[in-house]
Amino acid sequence: MATIHDVIAPFQLFQPTNLDDALDLLDEHGEAAMVIAGGMDSLDWLKDRLRQPQVVVELSQVSELRGIREVDGGLEIGAMTTLTEVAEHPAVIDRFKILSDAAALVASPQIRNQGTLGGNISQDTRCTYYRRGWACYRAGGNTCYADTPTAINREHAILEASRCVAVNPSDTAPALIALDAEMVIRRGGRERVVEADDYFVGPDTDIRHLNVLEPRDLLTTIRIPATWAGARFYFEKVRDRMVWDFPLVNVASAVRESGGRIVDARVVVGAVAARPLRLRAVERAVTGQALDEATAERAGEIAIRGNRPLRYNGYKVPLMRNLVRRAVRGGMGASNA
Amino acid sequence: MGDTRLVGQNYTTPDLHAKVTGRSKYAEDFRVDGMLFAKLLLSPFPHARVRSVDTSAAEAMPGVRAILRASELPEPADTVTDLGETIRANPLSERALTDEPVYAGEPVLAVAAVDEETAAAAIEAIRIDFEPLEFVVDPLVSLRPGGPNPREQGNSWGRPAGNPTGPLVVQRLEWSEADWSEYAEGRLPAGTPQAQWSYGDVEAGFAAATLVLDETFSTPNTQHHVLEPRSALAYWRDGKLYMHAGTQSAVQTVASIARWMRLDVSEVVLLTEYTGGGFGSRATGAVIYTIPALLARKTNAPVMMRITREEEQYIGGIRPGVHGRVKAGFASDGRLVALDVFTLGENHAYEAQGDAISSGRIISLLYQPQAMRFRGATVLTNTPPRRAQSQPGGLQGVMLMEPVMSKAARQLGIDQVEIRRINAPAGKAKFGPPAGNGELQYSTSSFMREALARGSEMFDWETRKARSGQRQGSKVRGAGVAVSSFVGGSVGFDGLFVIRPDGRMYVQSGVGNLGTESYSDVHRVAAEMMGMPWEKVAIIWGDTSQHLPWTCVSGGSQTTHAMSRAAHAAASDAIAKAKEIAARTLGGNAASYRVANERVSDGTRTMTLAEVARRAIALGGKYDGHELPTNINRVTTVAASALAGRGLMGVARDDYGRDGGTFSFVAGFAEVEVDVETGQYQVLDYMAVGDSGTIIHPRAYGGQVLGRGVLGMGHALAQKTVYDQHYGLPVATRLYQSRPPTILDVPRNMKWEAVNLPDPETPVGARGIGEAPVGAGASAILNALAAALGDDVIRRAPATLDNLLMALEHGRPMQEPLTAHI
Amino acid sequence: MSNDDAPTTRSGPTSLGRRTFIKGVIAGGVAVSSAAYLFRQSPTLSGQTARAGGVERLVTLNVNGQDRRVDVAPQETMATTLRYKLGLTGTKLGCDRAECGACTVLVDGVPRYSCSVLTHTVRSSDITTIEGLAAPDGTLHPVQQGVIEEQGFQCAYCMSGFIMSAVGFLRQNPNPTREELAHGVSGNLCRCQDYDKILTALHRGAELSREVARG
Repeated sequence: MATIHDVIAPFQLFQPTNLDDALDLLDEHGEAAMVIAGGMDSLDWLKDRLRQPQVVVELSQVSELRGIREVDGGLEIGAMTTLTEVAEHPAVIDRFKILSDAAALVASPQIRNQGTLGGNISQDTRCTYYRRGWACYRAGGNTCYADTPTAINREHAILEASRCVAVNPSDTAPALIALDAEMVIRRGGRERVVEADDYFVGPDTDIRHLNVLEPRDLLTTIRIPATWAGARFYFEKVRDRMVWDFPLVNVASAVRESGGRIVDARVVVGAVAARPLRLRAVERAVTGQALDEATAERAGEIAIRGNRPLRYNGYKVPLMRNLVRRAVRGGMGASNA
Repeated sequence: MGDTRLVGQNYTTPDLHAKVTGRSKYAEDFRVDGMLFAKLLLSPFPHARVRSVDTSAAEAMPGVRAILRASELPEPADTVTDLGETIRANPLSERALTDEPVYAGEPVLAVAAVDEETAAAAIEAIRIDFEPLEFVVDPLVSLRPGGPNPREQGNSWGRPAGNPTGPLVVQRLEWSEADWSEYAEGRLPAGTPQAQWSYGDVEAGFAAATLVLDETFSTPNTQHHVLEPRSALAYWRDGKLYMHAGTQSAVQTVASIARWMRLDVSEVVLLTEYTGGGFGSRATGAVIYTIPALLARKTNAPVMMRITREEEQYIGGIRPGVHGRVKAGFASDGRLVALDVFTLGENHAYEAQGDAISSGRIISLLYQPQAMRFRGATVLTNTPPRRAQSQPGGLQGVMLMEPVMSKAARQLGIDQVEIRRINAPAGKAKFGPPAGNGELQYSTSSFMREALARGSEMFDWETRKARSGQRQGSKVRGAGVAVSSFVGGSVGFDGLFVIRPDGRMYVQSGVGNLGTESYSDVHRVAAEMMGMPWEKVAIIWGDTSQHLPWTCVSGGSQTTHAMSRAAHAAASDAIAKAKEIAARTLGGNAASYRVANERVSDGTRTMTLAEVARRAIALGGKYDGHELPTNINRVTTVAASALAGRGLMGVARDDYGRDGGTFSFVAGFAEVEVDVETGQYQVLDYMAVGDSGTIIHPRAYGGQVLGRGVLGMGHALAQKTVYDQHYGLPVATRLYQSRPPTILDVPRNMKWEAVNLPDPETPVGARGIGEAPVGAGASAILNALAAALGDDVIRRAPATLDNLLMALEHGRPMQEPLTAHI
Repeated sequence: MSNDDAPTTRSGPTSLGRRTFIKGVIAGGVAVSSAAYLFRQSPTLSGQTARAGGVERLVTLNVNGQDRRVDVAPQETMATTLRYKLGLTGTKLGCDRAECGACTVLVDGVPRYSCSVLTHTVRSSDITTIEGLAAPDGTLHPVQQGVIEEQGFQCAYCMSGFIMSAVGFLRQNPNPTREELAHGVSGNLCRCQDYDKILTALHRGAELSREVARG
């Protein structure tokens, strides 16, 4: 059958106006339903006609899912809060700056005005083969087209690849992991809370999905505890063009120091694996150490242990190493204008 | 020139108000009652033959009105030139649809339906049995002994050994094993070329040279990405084809459509008031426009073909990437004494886009080697159509030469501006290839040295040079300069206007409106000569039923030069007629009258041009267009005849002489800052100085100098095509994957300047500026990067951060220099 | 090659339903009002729309200060509605994929890519397009005037998107530096690459906007 793009196939559209109705609709339609938040990722799937759902549940009218609330020194951010709102919110800027920095570096102003925090962290991979509809592992097939001798894999994984070499393209996800955020997920009347680091999954766990959401699940809230408020933060995104592009590699860190020594740290790198990688070995290695160049150097070396570059993404190894160094030393030599 | 100064002044172009209010209509903005919608079925294979097609399910769908197959297209027509010469149609030329697709994404068939959704569903319901054929998407892979062919006949255009004067055919070009001896070191093999020429004693030059460099560099394939996709609307009325479509040229596109459709030009009306960019990709429209025309005939209904961005990426055109190997010998003072250039260009599997071959001419002109040999070849692959893109061939020539010039300057201890000044063309500068008599050609004029001097002063070159290579934290700065050149105009076209009894001047403009504003700017010349205030000048453009004269193709920077000459000729004609009318009406000698301030006067006796227009109608004959010059084009004769009797007509062919070939020149200056820990870099500043004669419209001129400069920067920064060689399929099919520059990728405050010295070989003094800025933008940035990081870091463009970082990490270039589309 | 695992449920063949003829645009010199008709009538909605959240097709949109009744398919994007049903073709489609900005309009004053907004999501919003910027008497918006004064843009296919982005951005930051303004309109691609002159023109527009605001 011939393929064609850029005409959305018909579907049945539901626009619930409250969370309970939304959850009811998801329950009722199960796997037949596609959930649309900001739509920046979803519309691509629809326009490519690779997904032709019977039912679309569109969430823009559910006001409960929007907004940023201050709770016990931390924040509760509705999953439908736009990236612009996250980037410009005074409390985010004041206390959790890596999140506002990350949100402000996503794509373009219009995309940030519509794309949501929940959508940004839950978006699918941008592996070009997979997004073109090739029947790869991630699409349910039995091969990986991005890991062949001729494959173009400049933007693919250098770590934790397991059959699939796709990466998670989110900019805000590493920041949220570094802030020890929690994801509140609803299904019907039930609620479960997942740590940000556990929200994302690699291909060894689930080769079809980048996160733990299942049909009927709805990510409703992102909770950021007070833990890291006002810490020493660093976020940097490296990309080819200053607008629209997904990260080649990004890094987020939160560091507590005392008397020139690192008391506690979170270091997370994105776009190097199918999930944003919290670098626990780096965190352990730097904790208790002097906040200096030597510690940063060592952090960089530890960060890239076990890397397995492909034909065209070898640069991600020194890039990740250098970004982790910067993230640990916290701003020296940063280029994040 | 008259009293009313228009040339050299800024003004508001006649199209701008409609543009800012959203009233300007591009092809896809039109709607016609009963309109059907066309959708294309694209080949999923890089090369295949359609064995069978089952459209039964699609045809059974309610709302599907017609399916168009390749077999229904008119056979390619021969072309008859103005001189009556017949050019035989190429049987392997690109067509709108095909049963043997030669690239993935090539349109195979089209469906017309009552709405797009039905047409899309119909496409999905069509079953095609494709026979996959051998394919190749890398020219060097094809050239290898026993390498794959993009077509069954071979991989290149040439004349078979047995028939050296016959028509070009596709045949096999293969380079022997021995040719590949240096490939592993990243040097381009120089096997059997398809074209070669030389002048001077190249070997003696190398022998005497102080420094000899041998460098291989690769330029990227880049899509044009016009922002308005080539959508088109067609309908038939009273036996004529009406087409709404974007094109760079109005009048000349009628001829193309007529040829593709096998109609007479009188049977085609083109409506093309606004066009969303061209950059060479739709010089005279696009062959895909025949699809709605044929579907409209088949269904007896108007048909809109809305082209999507992805389809545009396939059919819209790609600038050919060129591999180049440059051996250059320099004297100790920096003079280029010997040059040996070999280029290999990539092509689609249809007609050759000759950038690789034509690059030699620009190299020869721009760097004035004392002796030069040029060899080149163009190899077909199963990738989308290569089309001329701003500065075709010239950009690649500049990008291949500029790294060599930079390296030579550094090795010889010569300033970068100075080495370009030493080798710059000046005045009537000679260049190859030699003509049949062995003589070199030469330019009409060149003020390259003046451009370099002005630019280095304005850019504060010395200060920026001094801080090049200095590291602060993780940042290193670099300053670069590059020179560039391209053809700047053609000759021999017609001007046509009428001054009517209402006192207004009605100018017929056959120039396309693709945003350069030349469709209006060139007529400022005629208005100024007639002493007309601009408010009283109406430009008629964009509708070929409105009697438009024979006009150049708006491509290759021809228009400003060609059509300002034509405007000058028409105005000279009208002035002569006005003076005669005044003498006949008021008495005295025609020669003692002059035209100024809407009047013709000899100082005592005066007529307004409105009165002249009335008298012209009364006198008839040549004055009001009832008698026409015999040397104008047939198209102009038809147009002028339709306007006869409306007033004083200015109509003439540009018959002015020209000694030399017309070229424009640009010097570009850039400063970059590289973060050596990430490879990411920022272009801090850019400025460019143009030498293209007299400036007609400064703001439009500056838009070209910087706009085309940024288009060039895309080739340095990140823009490219990406293919998986094993599958022969594109991996970058979206703008975010092929990466044209955004507003944040270029400096926030760029500057331009013009030498503004008139070209002596054209009456208005103006040359075109659409092309020359491109190479300056691309290479100034690459040279600035080399100044920051060293000469041997960048071996191919674009210079993306991955390659920079790897080179910095390993202390040597790490990228694959010669693999295509990575 | 297709993602054979993707859900491919498609509504079956449908008879052509009621055609919705909408008064269309006037084509320069040639014709015509038009039937803007890109979508089949959805066959599956009857009996469903009464359910919680199910959408009615006939909606009222507030566009450029006017309420417009329009029949909107569930899968329809705002760019489609504006261009083909309301005849507001000043909003352009350059990519239809949120990566060029030509389709930018204001939704409640905020720049959005209309190609990537389902029309049903903006039923209760104020939509402004390029056609809604000038005053009823034809006086141009200061940003439009800035473009006229500086001869901003070339082919202008990106122009309405850029202008709408600038107008939206200036609401937040009426006195931007050139750098800030560049960031404000960075979600718009110009392929004539006339960025420098565009910035000059929009910056002039910002200046004129401030003059207008001061009275």
